[in-house]
Amino acid sequence: MIDSFILGLSSGSACLVTCGMVMFPYLMAEASSVKKIAIDLSVFLITRLLVYFILATVAWYFGQSVFSSDLLRNYVPGILYIAFAVMLIWYSLDKNRKKDCPASFISKIDNKKLIPLFLGIVNTLGFCPALLIILTKSATQGSLMKSWISFLAFFAGSTLWFFPVPLAGKIRKKQVIVTIGILATGIAGAIFIIKGVIILTGGIING
Amino acid sequence: MDNTLTAKPAGKSLGKALLYTLPMFLITFVFITGGRLSFTDPAEVLAIFLVFLGMNVLYFLMHYTGETDKFRAVLFIIFAVSLSFTLIKNIVDMRSSMSFSQADIVECRIPFCHLVIPMMIIPAAFTKSIIFPGTILGNFANISSMIVLWLAATIVLGRGFCSWGCFYGGWDDGFSRLRKKPVIRKISDTWKWMPFAVLFMVALTAALTLVPTYCDWICPFKAVTEFEQVTNVESAVKAGVFISLFGGLVVVLPAMTRKRTQCSFLCPLGAINTVSNKVTPFIIKIDKTACSECLKCVAACPLFALTPEGVKAGTVSVFCSKCGKCVDVCENKAIHFGIKGIPPGTMKNFTRNLFLFVSFLFIAVFSAGSIVFTVKSILDFVI
Repeated sequence: MIDSFILGLSSGSACLVTCGMVMFPYLMAEASSVKKIAIDLSVFLITRLLVYFILATVAWYFGQSVFSSDLLRNYVPGILYIAFAVMLIWYSLDKNRKKDCPASFISKIDNKKLIPLFLGIVNTLGFCPALLIILTKSATQGSLMKSWISFLAFFAGSTLWFFPVPLAGKIRKKQVIVTIGILATGIAGAIFIIKGVIILTGGIING
Repeated sequence: MDNTLTAKPAGKSLGKALLYTLPMFLITFVFITGGRLSFTDPAEVLAIFLVFLGMNVLYFLMHYTGETDKFRAVLFIIFAVSLSFTLIKNIVDMRSSMSFSQADIVECRIPFCHLVIPMMIIPAAFTKSIIFPGTILGNFANISSMIVLWLAATIVLGRGFCSWGCFYGGWDDGFSRLRKKPVIRKISDTWKWMPFAVLFMVALTAALTLVPTYCDWICPFKAVTEFEQVTNVESAVKAGVFISLFGGLVVVLPAMTRKRTQCSFLCPLGAINTVSNKVTPFIIKIDKTACSECLKCVAACPLFALTPEGVKAGTVSVFCSKCGKCVDVCENKAIHFGIKGIPPGTMKNFTRNLFLFVSFLFIAVFSAGSIVFTVKSILDFVI
């Protein structure tokens, strides 16, 4: 649970940077008050949470089928951890990440009230490397409840980055905070590479 | 304000240099001898004499030549090597090995170092416990004395602790001086925020797991102090991480960049010391009227504290560790040690002398024990 929370907390900044430029204008432009932004943000976060629960269930279900043999269970997650963690490090270093936001299509949506909902779905299903790591972790959990808890911890960690959104204009040194967050994402990637190496060399899953 | 003090640059006056060295001479004598005047072991007397003499010669040369960094670096590097030697020798004498076992952890026999401090704060506040298996008031590398020393140094010197007090900094400082010209010249400015990301991660993981995660998983200096006994895959991976980070960030990258890369890109305590630079009275100042914007100081700075934009604006960032390298390379004497509130370009000698006295006294007193121990061990071996 702790590593899921840490992964969410560290990768939340990359998520914010990737989609922030698309999301903020829509979350804030129509709003005249902090209350309105807070409501839109709540819809956005609840949507993310629901999509995460669905993903956790699907991942666990597929994990039960795919990782049935010991050989697959002991080696595939390790390889996936390393591959996705390398992607996560690359993702944190990539200066073009702002251009890759999957939510950029929302400019075509007419009904502004639906935008936080769409943003919640698209932001969650963006399949960033951090999400792929947590999907791998979820798929290898022993029970559905553990899979949900992994996603819940991941959600809790990444959500902390969105709370200051209503106050975004008032936060000083935003760029420094986001830079530190992006670098922390790279460190989270390094943690999961090590975790992958340990799984591969020791065959210990979620140890 | 005494502006006449700016008329003559520091150094090249034998009488003044001797006069400035006299207080250091007396204080270091008391600290290095421990107030004793009778010794039974001739090797100990010789070791104490050599260390005492060496330190005071370095301090004298700082005043006589007007240069700071190269003499500081000599003591700083010797401190790093001798501390590692002292630590390893004590640990090997105690356990017959550089590695520690689970029993050592349970019995709190792990020597404490200042790098643990960032991880202790949150757990100490919430659980009222110290998440490190060391002794609070023991004889060797105890927790309380190290915290008090670091706290005093970081309040007075700010990030100056990283160049005048940290017993690990000397390692990458030393390796950064191996080559005369850097092989890698361009390094993104973004990386200097990495220690804050490391601090964020280790403080968070330590708070959540109640384990000093930096020591457990990251610290490159485990390679030159002590490490967990390799008994399984996890401890083997940890040993691999320690050695890789030491080789990469403390040896190879400093040698290739002429920068202190471990201090600049990894150390979480460096991040805290950077913040404490905001409260310390001592800072490096740039006299814009004398600066020709040659940017030699930017190239020389080992910790990315100086940027071309900053120099043009006459500002030094909070990443500065007051090592004095930029001061020494400035041909116009435009960059100098200063004190907050005193305008740049004024009272240069006074502020330098005051800073050198405080910072050198700290490193001399802090390092004396381990250097004497190392010199004595070498003498014992030779004789």
